Amino acid sequence: MLYSPVMLDQPQVPVTQRTNPERSFKEEVRALRLGNGEMFRGEGILAVTKAILQSGVAYVGGYQGAPVSHLVDVLVESQDLLDELGVHLETCTNEASAAAMLGASINYPMRGCVTWKSIVGTNVAADALSNLASPGVIGGALIVVGEDYGEGASVIQERTQAYALKSSVWLMDPRPSLPTIVQCTEKAFELSEATNTPVMMELRIRACHVTGEFVAKDNKAPAVSRNRRLANPAVHDYGRISHPPSTYAHEKLKVEVRQPAAERFIVANGLNEFFPGERSDLGIIVQGGITNVLVRGLDRLEVGGKVPMLVLNVTHPLVPGQIADFCKGKRAVLVVEEGAPDYIEQSIHACLRKRDIDTRIYGKDVLPMAGEYTAEVLTEGLLEFFARAANDIDLSGPRERFEAAKAGRAEAHRILGGPLPLRPPGFCVGCPERPVFSAIKLLEREVGKVHISSDIGCHSFATLAPFNLGNSILGFGMSLAAAGAVAPVMEKRTISVMGDGGFWHNGLLSGVASSMFNRGDRVLVIMQNGYTSATGAQFIPNTAGNRRDGQTTSDIAATLKAMGVSWLRTIRTYNVGTMLKTLREAMSTDEKGLKVIVADGECQLARQRRVRPQIAADLRAGKRVVRTRFGVDDEVCTGDHSCIRLSGCPSLVVKPSPDPLRTDPVAHVNNGCVGCGLCGEVADAAVLCPSFYKADIVQNATWWDRLVWKLRSKVIGALAC
Amino acid sequence: MKPITILVGALGGDGGGVLCDWIVAAAHSQGLDVQATQIPGVAQRTGATTYYLEVVPSRGSHGTVLALNPAIGEVDVALATELLEAGRMIFNGFVTPDRTTLIASTHRVLAISERSAMGDGSFDVGRLLRAVKERSQAQILFDMDQAAEESGGVINAVLLGALAGSGRLPIPDAAFETAIREGGKAVDTNLAAFAFGRGHARGELEQAVREHRKRQTAAQGVEDLIARARRSFPAASLDVVEEGIRRLAAYQDRRYAALFLDRLAGIDAAIVREVARHLAVRMSYEDVIRVAQAKTSRERLERVRAEVRAKPHEPVGITEHFKPGNEEIAAMLPPKLARWLLAQPKFHFPMHLRSTTIWGFARLRLLAGLRWWRPYTWRYVEEQAQIEAWLGQIAAAQALSLDLAREIAEAARLIKGYGDTHKRGLGNYRRITDEIIAPALAGRMPARQAADAVANARVAALADPEGDALGRTLTAVAAAAGITTMRHAAE
Repeated sequence: MLYSPVMLDQPQVPVTQRTNPERSFKEEVRALRLGNGEMFRGEGILAVTKAILQSGVAYVGGYQGAPVSHLVDVLVESQDLLDELGVHLETCTNEASAAAMLGASINYPMRGCVTWKSIVGTNVAADALSNLASPGVIGGALIVVGEDYGEGASVIQERTQAYALKSSVWLMDPRPSLPTIVQCTEKAFELSEATNTPVMMELRIRACHVTGEFVAKDNKAPAVSRNRRLANPAVHDYGRISHPPSTYAHEKLKVEVRQPAAERFIVANGLNEFFPGERSDLGIIVQGGITNVLVRGLDRLEVGGKVPMLVLNVTHPLVPGQIADFCKGKRAVLVVEEGAPDYIEQSIHACLRKRDIDTRIYGKDVLPMAGEYTAEVLTEGLLEFFARAANDIDLSGPRERFEAAKAGRAEAHRILGGPLPLRPPGFCVGCPERPVFSAIKLLEREVGKVHISSDIGCHSFATLAPFNLGNSILGFGMSLAAAGAVAPVMEKRTISVMGDGGFWHNGLLSGVASSMFNRGDRVLVIMQNGYTSATGAQFIPNTAGNRRDGQTTSDIAATLKAMGVSWLRTIRTYNVGTMLKTLREAMSTDEKGLKVIVADGECQLARQRRVRPQIAADLRAGKRVVRTRFGVDDEVCTGDHSCIRLSGCPSLVVKPSPDPLRTDPVAHVNNGCVGCGLCGEVADAAVLCPSFYKADIVQNATWWDRLVWKLRSKVIGALAC
Repeated sequence: MKPITILVGALGGDGGGVLCDWIVAAAHSQGLDVQATQIPGVAQRTGATTYYLEVVPSRGSHGTVLALNPAIGEVDVALATELLEAGRMIFNGFVTPDRTTLIASTHRVLAISERSAMGDGSFDVGRLLRAVKERSQAQILFDMDQAAEESGGVINAVLLGALAGSGRLPIPDAAFETAIREGGKAVDTNLAAFAFGRGHARGELEQAVREHRKRQTAAQGVEDLIARARRSFPAASLDVVEEGIRRLAAYQDRRYAALFLDRLAGIDAAIVREVARHLAVRMSYEDVIRVAQAKTSRERLERVRAEVRAKPHEPVGITEHFKPGNEEIAAMLPPKLARWLLAQPKFHFPMHLRSTTIWGFARLRLLAGLRWWRPYTWRYVEEQAQIEAWLGQIAAAQALSLDLAREIAEAARLIKGYGDTHKRGLGNYRRITDEIIAPALAGRMPARQAADAVANARVAALADPEGDALGRTLTAVAAAAGITTMRHAAE
């Protein structure tokens, strides 16, 4: 009666109530085809995508990451349109490769746009970025960065501004309204060409997702493109190579030629916006991206339209003349600049000082140095600014309302009696990565705590409840490298966890090659789920089918073998027992060197997206389909919840005990279950309890199914207690 | 023109993004200026997500600057797909009694910290409901999860219906329905869910409260025992005592149920309900026979079929996950043999038993039929001895303090589960017995203090599986008791 419990090989129809149908990009693709005078409606990032096509880009590239993944994702599905226009699209394997793509614009009059999540993506791209900015470009080069800052951000809180400053790349931070975003995108290419400088445009999370409308224009086919090829490469010009002595000349060009040209362009094209106000003695200079929060803050204080505003849709370079003109004759100017350090405020101080303009500048003294400028933070800052700089304006009414709202919140805290349980992100139902961490938990029961070097990706959720596994995260694909100096001082081997996304992004070289080269004695677990799942299941080199020809590009195990990894196991993740055994072996084997476990299991989100329509079609066609799911016998469960602590599956929930004599809630598998079998596996591997059962529901049963079932039911009915 | 501000709190997978799309499309169709944005979180299906919308309530007022962030005290409509998320918007100060209409589902989806607690870790719903009532201007509350289920749709459509029904937006129902139709996804079920939500919001639909029925054990031939219980125990304890009788008769036999009543005889009326509850659970301890009984009961197959939503004509195959080892086998052996087996190296073997096949079911049924043998097993002897010791402590404590006796009874809550879980619970229980109960009964700790200490230790034992919290609590108790003893000595 023993049999192998490989659940996922069976087709299943998850009947889930809580599932949001996956977004298809059909609507978005249609929006990209809008022509002159038609009304575009959609999100900010899609508007940027449309704007680059209207600008005649010849090539687009990028690496996925919230909140800008959408740009490339939508274009991937618009291959027809790209083919018509001749636009080349690359789904790059990291941001460095995306940044290097812009190298095409150094020698050729081609407009190009690449995108990634900042600050982390910009860090990865930094080398190529410097080498791009130094020689400069002749074709407009635009980098759209998702400024992942504030609420909802998933990365280190740093500013892209720093890169713009140090590499002399211009930085746009457009006001979050679609017409402004679109205009800035189009102007960015012109600015880039007018100044031979790449331009970055940063969009915060809310701006990427903000809905709005603008009047579209026709898309423009680029003059040089895949459809209109060049006969010959560019004439050799050492001046376009970022090597000395060219680099010395580049540095001078940046400050003597390109920056002044940019300043002239910004003024001539009115990129920064001036909003007049009654109080000519006051002023506010604000980053374009947070203008809406500011305007609403002023409305809240009933001073909307009173104070003149200079909106910086371009935050680097600043135009000293423009700043000086704005400040001249004013008693006080408030600089609203989000994040640290306060680059803009410092520049404004220097600019005014050099011109002997004695306007008092307020900024990070009334607003916080660090953290997102939310409505509340900005309101506090504005109140403080007006109190210090213009106490003739009576703000007692608004101040009272604001204080009342805060008092109300304190009252809410009192009623609720303390912080609410957090809802951190976690592994999806049926995620193939969860079993690996269940196995690590079980391993730790045997050998004690282990140093775990975590990485970027879904698997980083293991650092949260209920697993709480992981000692550090050093960046994407860095987990193995990050154990470099830990492993040699540990009695037990270290475990580095890395996704296949991270492996191709950086882990292969920074991690595996370096560890092999240095004879590191460590354990590496590679989560091979087939996609960069955390960013929306984009394809990577080991994905089962490439978007172009359906062929897998590179195999991880084969790559590792070629690199000389000798201890290599590929394990199906759902098999917790085998995973545990393999981990145990990796931790204890006498074999020195790198030990790699490729934990294989397809991303369940991607899998469900694929199999669900197939199963629905099979059911409609009357084919036999077995739906598998798990359940808990509520009479057998005693409510300890070990199973939840070892799994955390969202479909493994609790419900009130049906037993009149017990009070602790019992475990329950809800209808989100996709039948991955982990709960049963964990119950087995951890020897938990006999509550779990697997149910196979036969849909469109055959006559034989029914016959057997009827026979069995009869006998079982007669035998039952 | 001031915009109407809408804040949405949802869980990943609730379809908050689609909900926003519908609202935006409906507002557009009325020529209203509208803006939506979101903090969607990552691609994963857990975690809290928020969406924020502003709708300018009159036509032709384009050009109003719309905000991307909600502000405290400035939200007109707050929508939540789950009660804790409604609580979170209140906690963050966005929901206020001067202007916010709160439209929320009353069902709970427990957060991971609530689910993974070793006992009942769920947040106090009473507090949430009080905050909802006191901190919002108007409320539309019902179980939208259930409404979604009843209508066959998804919760976001129910919420949209409730929003339409609230009348807070100058958008007619038909515009929302058109938005759903033009969305093109699961149109019929979404329209049905929308209608449900609207009906509830307008008070046109009554929702049956979702019951969590407690299941009584079926047992025959115990009428005289029940009559005896009714004569002997206070009315307030009878539901538990009677269930205990039925439970134990089904678990073992009539005599065992009678033993249950005998054991309760000396218990003070004030605590008999609590003691009876735990006693019945302890006497019906989990062994292979009981599991087999539960898995072969007549109602079980129907329960599973309902739970996995099998249609009447669909065959269902059930596979049980067992992993018996020496402990489980020893529990079935006579004491001597069991002790020998337990002294052997630990082993376990996974057994995946298909209980919907005739042979699989028959094997389980055979096991269930072994209950006559139970009194001869090592486990039975062990359990009875522990129960007697526990009852002895309760009896002794009754003389000192009813609170202490009650807490000793309650401490039995720690003993539950199977295998390692059971062992860990029993270990914790024994630590509490050794370090608090025994000293208290021996007069080395004041009874009142001991009662508190036992209660604290019980809570601590349920705080973490490693027993860290319990260790700290017991150390603190010992320290406090030491101080008391010294003080006594000084006096």
